[in-house]
Amino acid sequence: MSDQEKDPVVHSSLSKALVIWSALLAVSMVWGLYDEMYGIRPWKGYQARFEKLYHHYLATARLGEADREKQIRSQPEYKMLDRDTLAAEKAAMPEAAGIDTEVNGNLVPKILALNDPFQEVRSHIGALTYEIEVSKSESTKDSLRKQIVELRAEVHKVALAGEKEKRSMTFPDMEKQLAEWKARKAELLQRRVDVMKRATDLRAQRDKYLSDRISDASLDTLSSVENSLAKFDIRIRQIHIKDVDLVDRCESCHMGIREPVRLTAASMGGEAVFTSHPDKELLKIHDPEKFGCTPCHGGNGAALSSVEKAHGYNKYWLWPMHHAENIEAGCQQCHVKELVTEQADTLNTGREIFRRRGCMGCHRYEGFDREGDEIASVNQQIHQDEQQKAEWTREAGFAEQAANNPKTTNAEAQKLYAHANDLKVRSSGIDAQIEQLDMRSESLVREVKKVGPSLKEVRMKLRREWIPEWLKDPHAWREGTKMPSFRLDQEEIRAIAAYVWQSGVQGDLPSQKSGDPEKGREAFETRGCMACHSMGEGGQKQGGTFAANLSREGEKANYDYLVRWVHNPRQRTAPYCPYEKKDLTAADYQKHGLPFVFDLGHDKCPNDGHELQVQQMTPMPNLRLTEDEARDIASYLMTRKHSGAAYAGASFMDDPALKNKGLAAIRNYGCAGCHEIAGLEDEQRIGTELTKEGSKPIERLDFALLGHKAEEQGWMTHKGFFEHKLADPAVYDTGKEKAKQDKLKMPNFNFSKPEIDAVTTFLEGSVDASVPPRYFYAPTDQRQDIIEGWWVVRKYNCMGCHHVHVGQTSVFDDMARYQDPDWRDQKPPTLIGEGARVNPEWLMHFLNNPALSETDTNRDGVRQYLKARMPTFSFSDGEVRKIVRFFEALSSQAQPFIADKLEPLTDQERTMARQLFSSEGAPCLKCHMTGDPAHDTRASAPNFTVAKDRLKPGWVKRWILDPALMSPGTAMPSGLFRKEGDHYVFNGPLPASFNGYTKDQADLLVRYMFQFTPEELSRLRSSASGR
Amino acid sequence: MKKIWIAVGVVSALTFAGCGGGEKTETKTAATAAPAGGAATPDLANGATVTGKVIFDGTKPVAKTIDMSANPTCMNAHKAAPQKSEEVVINDNGTVKYAFVWVKAGLPDQTWQIPTSTVELNQTGCMYQPHVIGIMAGQNIDIKNSDPTNHNIHPMPAINQEWNESQPPGSADKMQSFPRQEVMVPVKCQIHNWMRAYIGVVSNPFYAVTGDDGTFSLKGLPPGTYTIQVWQEKYGTQEQTITVGAKDSKTLDFTIKG
Repeated sequence: MSDQEKDPVVHSSLSKALVIWSALLAVSMVWGLYDEMYGIRPWKGYQARFEKLYHHYLATARLGEADREKQIRSQPEYKMLDRDTLAAEKAAMPEAAGIDTEVNGNLVPKILALNDPFQEVRSHIGALTYEIEVSKSESTKDSLRKQIVELRAEVHKVALAGEKEKRSMTFPDMEKQLAEWKARKAELLQRRVDVMKRATDLRAQRDKYLSDRISDASLDTLSSVENSLAKFDIRIRQIHIKDVDLVDRCESCHMGIREPVRLTAASMGGEAVFTSHPDKELLKIHDPEKFGCTPCHGGNGAALSSVEKAHGYNKYWLWPMHHAENIEAGCQQCHVKELVTEQADTLNTGREIFRRRGCMGCHRYEGFDREGDEIASVNQQIHQDEQQKAEWTREAGFAEQAANNPKTTNAEAQKLYAHANDLKVRSSGIDAQIEQLDMRSESLVREVKKVGPSLKEVRMKLRREWIPEWLKDPHAWREGTKMPSFRLDQEEIRAIAAYVWQSGVQGDLPSQKSGDPEKGREAFETRGCMACHSMGEGGQKQGGTFAANLSREGEKANYDYLVRWVHNPRQRTAPYCPYEKKDLTAADYQKHGLPFVFDLGHDKCPNDGHELQVQQMTPMPNLRLTEDEARDIASYLMTRKHSGAAYAGASFMDDPALKNKGLAAIRNYGCAGCHEIAGLEDEQRIGTELTKEGSKPIERLDFALLGHKAEEQGWMTHKGFFEHKLADPAVYDTGKEKAKQDKLKMPNFNFSKPEIDAVTTFLEGSVDASVPPRYFYAPTDQRQDIIEGWWVVRKYNCMGCHHVHVGQTSVFDDMARYQDPDWRDQKPPTLIGEGARVNPEWLMHFLNNPALSETDTNRDGVRQYLKARMPTFSFSDGEVRKIVRFFEALSSQAQPFIADKLEPLTDQERTMARQLFSSEGAPCLKCHMTGDPAHDTRASAPNFTVAKDRLKPGWVKRWILDPALMSPGTAMPSGLFRKEGDHYVFNGPLPASFNGYTKDQADLLVRYMFQFTPEELSRLRSSASGR
Repeated sequence: MKKIWIAVGVVSALTFAGCGGGEKTETKTAATAAPAGGAATPDLANGATVTGKVIFDGTKPVAKTIDMSANPTCMNAHKAAPQKSEEVVINDNGTVKYAFVWVKAGLPDQTWQIPTSTVELNQTGCMYQPHVIGIMAGQNIDIKNSDPTNHNIHPMPAINQEWNESQPPGSADKMQSFPRQEVMVPVKCQIHNWMRAYIGVVSNPFYAVTGDDGTFSLKGLPPGTYTIQVWQEKYGTQEQTITVGAKDSKTLDFTIKG
């Protein structure tokens, strides 16, 4: 063995190790590359895929688009426009080309050539002028002036294009020449525009024809997108908003969000991550560059390392992204003052449930049910104002005293007197302010409503045995009722029933003769009751969900009381004095020698002058029915019952020993949150405030023994907490050992899944917003009136009868009876565009008195032909103001309203209009009421005599020209007028008197309507009769 | 390193090839679907015919007289005999007039040729003439006003778009169509609120309105099993199923109980 053989360098081979290491190196490199793309930077993978898919999509879209454009371009209309455009261009070309040669070949070079020497002299003169202005010596000024004169007279040799000889010109010559040429140039260019006008217009028309027919992106858009895609690079896309310190990198993966082309998951290879934002309109209002993404959607905008982290679904992230079913939670935090937010239906439903189902009876939420709070603050304000006034009066007195003092100088005295006077004037201002506050306070007493009925009247209203049965489980007795089911035991039911019964007021209730149930049924179904109430059970149910289902009314009600209620639901048995905290009796009035009369006109306490609650605190309005009709309806309702329903006797309800126990239970369960109950008028809410519930730290939400389960199942979130609680309010008592009174009190509302989603959305969005004030929707213009108005519109369920916004349905739209062509004309009018239609003064009057009469109240003031009628809501002044402003704002009307002056009618015009109105060709009087009772029963449109006070002339004209545009499906036909030149003419045979009449005939009819009198109506009627 | 890029290149080439293949298949499906897109017409020579009548069973209801007293022009048109309501019209042979019969289901999924001819709906004597018409979706209705007074035509569809147009005396006919199938579309004139017509809008050509003999006939039906529906203004709808082969001639009677 040689040494050489032993040499490890020669003998031991490292190739094995090298292979292994290089393999490892290669693997780790691949791993590194993989990690770069998909591991720590998954967004890179997304971007690469996006680019590929987008390319592919654009290519296919282009094909389809090219086909469609080709197809449109082959349409005869397009071809004709195209041909006309080219022809017009051709026709205009010679002259336009001549102008172009003259301007570009002659004038422009000349102007440019002359401009240089001219500007040179001019700036020189300018400099000298400045020197004159700043120079102090007159002699210098004079010499400078002389220089200017010389300059102006100096002759310049100017070479002009197209002229062989140089021209000799002085400054004024040049100035004049330049002005001449410039004027000539402007004139020629204007002339060119005129010449080309027809061609330009046609071209615009042709292009519009194309763009009107392509709903998606046009080829141009596609090309520009493709161009920008060519420059695509893989990098983090982020929105940085400095003042909020917001960094949102969502678009690093969601790359299609703001693409001009509408991308769907299907068009992007099934990858939902690349879809465009579903609502471009919404995105325009909430520009991501200003708002970012996460303020609305939640999630962790800066995170990029995993989908879970970016969406904020990791344990400690405070703002997890809202799930699809709660997506509108993001709206609530900034739109916190609203009850109705446009385009946020789920959220609106959630708010509405919170209000209507009585959540706000137990849970305070800023803005909801605020009348009570407002009464307190108004009273405090009055108190402060009174103090201020007293202070100023005293001070004024002192000032006058000091002024009267002979030692005071005249000047000083005058000052003091003036000061005293100022204070007096300011005090008088306070008087005006206090007067306003008093009115507001009176309004507020009217405005405060309860979710449930008053329990003070149960003795008169209800059959006694029914009460314990109802308390056991309201949902079992009446499916879908507002009243939730409390987990009461037998003892509690007995005690509560006993307290309610024994604390009820007693009053005189006249005994009523019975009515006609058949007539009552007809009235119930057509007067408008069903806009709020439903009738029938299960699949038979028809009508609104705003108020109770009355299918079993006959089992619970006392007929005499029901008649009074239907006749006037606001009528109370006894007025309540909040100051004395008691229901007044006849004796209280007698003491002061007053009759026991209390209503909206007699609403002060005889004992202490305080504002009384003289109405039932129900939103149910007065339909102004006759007593007979009220009896018919009540008789019908008394027939509504289950056959053979039996109720156990309830004599225990008179047991005085139960009363105190009952009171304690009622307090414990917070019944007074929704009901007026004697002795509990000032009860506070028993639940947690929920205004900021969505941002309460998760550890403060009591999952009790379900914490581990929630964590395992992944609902240890606000959403999870709310959903479980709403589905089963006792869920967090599971497994707990608790005394009855310590158990969770929240009752079960039997919410459906969509209802739970809606309320969860609302609560999830109820956060202590971490965004700056500019994010909040707090408009200072008319939009504020819309926000305010919604609260009133929803409070009284205006939308049960009326369409208030586009796309909404009313209860009438769904009722079987109103599907019939005849009954369809019996639906209450739509209020879309109401602000543009009616005079606000009139609307105010109408809302206060929908009969438009003090004496003849058994009717609707405008549409007497409708079976349904606008009821009297006894709105407070504040509410009337809000409703009027709401409609004005929805139609962007200027306030206050100032009516347009209409040109007076000549006698001849009046005759002409009358002839047209009553002609066989113009059907106005066939449908519109005329005041003739025989005719009016068949009428289907309002009387013209109301028009001039009620309507706005501009609206009337738009209406008669095309009513279907404002109110699709209206009984008023379209096509009554056609345009001839620049004015409208009646589309039908005209009376001979119209020969030679050149004015707008639609205007004529509008002017006629607005100068309409009862006398004119009778003239019109007599000329129309016989046809 | 180079090899990796080659591999990447090969892979991406394959991917592109894959994409290309996908596109090809798409074109193929589109090509086969194309000929099926053409609109069909009833095959009168080889198709089946279903005929029948709509029989009324019960006491003939007394037709109400329409009160036109508020509109003298309309009254004048019926001087000889006052106009009766056409809600239920029973022929002398005990059959029902103005019943609408149509193939509601069972037809192959295809588009049918829309006739270029129009169907007339005339307003005469302040009545719609005829009271019931059938049209194909997309086919034009020729609406005439033969009266010396103004009418408004107000169809009140539930599915199609609603409109309401004034048609003064002596004005040109209106051509209108409904793009979607709907049985039936009621038509009303607000000015003369007794005026009522019904339009059956069907997306196939197999429909008929019974006339003075109460019969109907549906011709050129492809072989198959069909649900045939009859509609009557007052008595609602009823359905029967029938199976026909090529060139079959079958009878199908309906009985409406009064």
